[in-house]
Amino acid sequence: MLIFVVRRFGTMVLTMVVVSLLLFLLLEINVASVAIKVLGPYSSEEQRQIWLEANGYLEPFYIRYFTWLGNFVVGDFGESIRFKVPVGEVLWPRLGNTGILGLATMIVVVPLALCLGVLAGMKEGSGLDRTISVGSIITTSIPEFASAVLLSAVFVFYLDLLPGTSSMAGGFSLNQLILPVMVLVLYDFGYVTRMTRASMSEVMMTHYIRTAVLKGLPYKTVILRHALRNALIAPFTVIMLQINWLLSGVIVVEFFYAYKGFGALLLEASLNQDIFLIEACAMVAVFVAVATQTIADVGYTYLNPRIRFA
Amino acid sequence: MKKVLNDETGKRVHPYVPELCEQLRKGDLDRREFLRTATLLGVSTAAAYSMAGKILGEPVTKRAVAAETPKMGGTLRWGMQVQEMTDPSKFDWVEKSNVARGIVEYLCRTGSDNITRPYLAEGWEASDDLKTWTFKLRQGVKWSNGDDFGADDVVANFKRWLDPKTGSSNIGLFAAMVEEVDTGKKDDKGNPVMGKRMTEGAFDKVNAHTVKLHLNSPVLSMPENLYNYPTAIVHRNFDADGADLTKNPIGTGPFELVENKVGERAVLRKKQGYWGDEVYLDEIQYIDLGEDRAAWLAAIASKQVDGIYQFDVNQLDMADRLPGTVVHTAVTAQTAIARMQMDKEPFTDIRVRQAVQACMDHQKLLDLAYRGKGAPGEDHHVAPIHPEYFKLPMQKQDHAKAKKLLADAGHPNGITLKIDVGSTSGKWELDAMQAFKEQCAPGGINLELNVMPSSQYWEIWDKTPFGFTSWTHRPLGVMVLNLGYRSGVPWNESHYNNPAFDKALDEASAILDVNERRKKMEQVESILQNDAVALQPLWRAVFTATNDKVKGYQMHPTLYHQFQKVWMA
Repeated sequence: MLIFVVRRFGTMVLTMVVVSLLLFLLLEINVASVAIKVLGPYSSEEQRQIWLEANGYLEPFYIRYFTWLGNFVVGDFGESIRFKVPVGEVLWPRLGNTGILGLATMIVVVPLALCLGVLAGMKEGSGLDRTISVGSIITTSIPEFASAVLLSAVFVFYLDLLPGTSSMAGGFSLNQLILPVMVLVLYDFGYVTRMTRASMSEVMMTHYIRTAVLKGLPYKTVILRHALRNALIAPFTVIMLQINWLLSGVIVVEFFYAYKGFGALLLEASLNQDIFLIEACAMVAVFVAVATQTIADVGYTYLNPRIRFA
Repeated sequence: MKKVLNDETGKRVHPYVPELCEQLRKGDLDRREFLRTATLLGVSTAAAYSMAGKILGEPVTKRAVAAETPKMGGTLRWGMQVQEMTDPSKFDWVEKSNVARGIVEYLCRTGSDNITRPYLAEGWEASDDLKTWTFKLRQGVKWSNGDDFGADDVVANFKRWLDPKTGSSNIGLFAAMVEEVDTGKKDDKGNPVMGKRMTEGAFDKVNAHTVKLHLNSPVLSMPENLYNYPTAIVHRNFDADGADLTKNPIGTGPFELVENKVGERAVLRKKQGYWGDEVYLDEIQYIDLGEDRAAWLAAIASKQVDGIYQFDVNQLDMADRLPGTVVHTAVTAQTAIARMQMDKEPFTDIRVRQAVQACMDHQKLLDLAYRGKGAPGEDHHVAPIHPEYFKLPMQKQDHAKAKKLLADAGHPNGITLKIDVGSTSGKWELDAMQAFKEQCAPGGINLELNVMPSSQYWEIWDKTPFGFTSWTHRPLGVMVLNLGYRSGVPWNESHYNNPAFDKALDEASAILDVNERRKKMEQVESILQNDAVALQPLWRAVFTATNDKVKGYQMHPTLYHQFQKVWMA
């Protein structure tokens, strides 16, 4: 088990290094364009040369890369061009905001989706299963930009119940969190539900469940004690994947509701070619992706002995 | 002997003022234009209103305003993008100037009625030839650091603006104070590289509160130029203090900067001891609602903000229906132009440019892209609401002419052109260009649209050979022509270079009499229209919304924020 964890961890680090190299190649191989982006299109050639020299851009490529990587590891991401402050000062609060949004979504999605999935999977083909399955397929197939408009039309413009944007300009407000979370939940719960349902129904077909039912155990005990334990392994991985999606997949929602989160920041950085911010955002996104994947793998192995000893 | 006129207070009156009165009497001039020109020539606003009243037989007192007593205090929350705000002379977004406008002030102020009034300058006089302008500065104005405001500040600002190293667009605006010099360098072809520098003796400080400007050529619009948004007056030590208004927000204005967090919010708080009338608001908060204008309306619908920067024409129906929300409209000279750089292939050939021009049906684009709210453009960037506007014959769409021009230019099988569209002033830009693409096709032009985000467009707006650029409103036609079409000025994005045009524009800019100037504008407009460097589908109206608690707000055609008289019910 320990060797497995170490190996997974090593893969994770390797992935990050490869991505960082690609990122660096894409954004910083052409030093002249870096200087233009930092100093603006109206800067003179002379100013750019001075800047390049002062910031070590005339060094060989590999030295620049390792210096950059070294700075990155200790959290020095450079200065944002658009915000005119160190990248960290913008990045961490925004990441925190998205964390809040993601957490709130998860708090709703996980119990809701697991309950519905288990209910549907208990008896495949039943009326309840059909209702839940069709319902979740419908909500999942409505893209966020459509459901955001729809929900805003109803709750903001028609009912006048909820605030229309979530910029949190006056400090944190639970009220402003409702609509973005609603959109994310609507889009996401169906998928997790379907996965749970598939896993549950598979378990329900197995012999040991049949045996448990036949030996006269109460149905409740069969489900809670025997079925759930195995049925929840697959959803665990799916849920871990949702964390990754919640980080970079929320761009649409954050843009629509003017929520000051990581997704909106990534979009803003790209639109304004704020290269140091793009680099930091990309690396954070990649880190979260590989980290959640690693946790999912390790967790899955722990939960499922068949894989552990394979 | 030259007659010297004085008003009741003994102040000298510009000799052109009686002529103005005569024109108003005869009906050659409307009331608004009379007020505008008379105040520009140094007549006080009150005196100008009184003169107009006497001539037109109207009561001097304006009609009674609804009897609501303004309330002190309150916070105004306004939805607008919050950007970096370093150097006012380099502002290229009105949004930046709106935050700065509470902190730093201008010499003159053009109101939402298009009339320019004294501000930090308490008055001005122009010489008869309009080449010498004397600005008397207000006394007793203090900077927020305790220094006295005076002529030194104004002189320091002019020096910064007219220094090419500063990189301010003001150098084009005040072209009459700048001269061309040989930099001593040669370009690749061996031609001398010309640079610009401030004319020797372009201004002098008469005393601590008087500044005289000496121009190379007559300019009528000096006071209006001094309210163009990058001309805010900063403290004389602005450069020495680090040239950063955010870090060192010293100003004469009624508010002080509490915070400016780019992309999030900016907060201005009422300052004690402001020199002017006390402002009603305690605080102004600018809240960044991102780039999605649907979110802006949603924010005002749910009362999260009290006003928004603007909304699009296609949101008009929705805004009209929002309860508790007031829609404001301003007729403007705002526009966007599809401009072609005349020094880049294939636009070096005037026939190609004219072929593109011949394909455009302006009225149709106005109807399709802007629901007819505004006026059709005429490819010369002078709007019907500009006082000097001369009506040229209507242009007609002519596909046969376009095909012939293209064939003559060596493209008998048509041509493919790519235009960059940044939609910097809203989605209507893309709608207009999509419709224009269809209009181009029968003329043998395959117009490809390169759609890009607005902030990215501003990186290339003056570099791309063919781009669709939005231009804000300016009160006079000659102002925008001087900024954008005179040879060699920084904002000349089409690289337009026509000495005949420059000369005609110089002449027009020097004529005080609006009727005479209008005659000259026929030539200016025709040259620009025939050279077909800037195709202009339409002039657009602009819209914004406030909730009904906001009182005393008048929308400015340039979207400038003037919140001095705004109060919250």
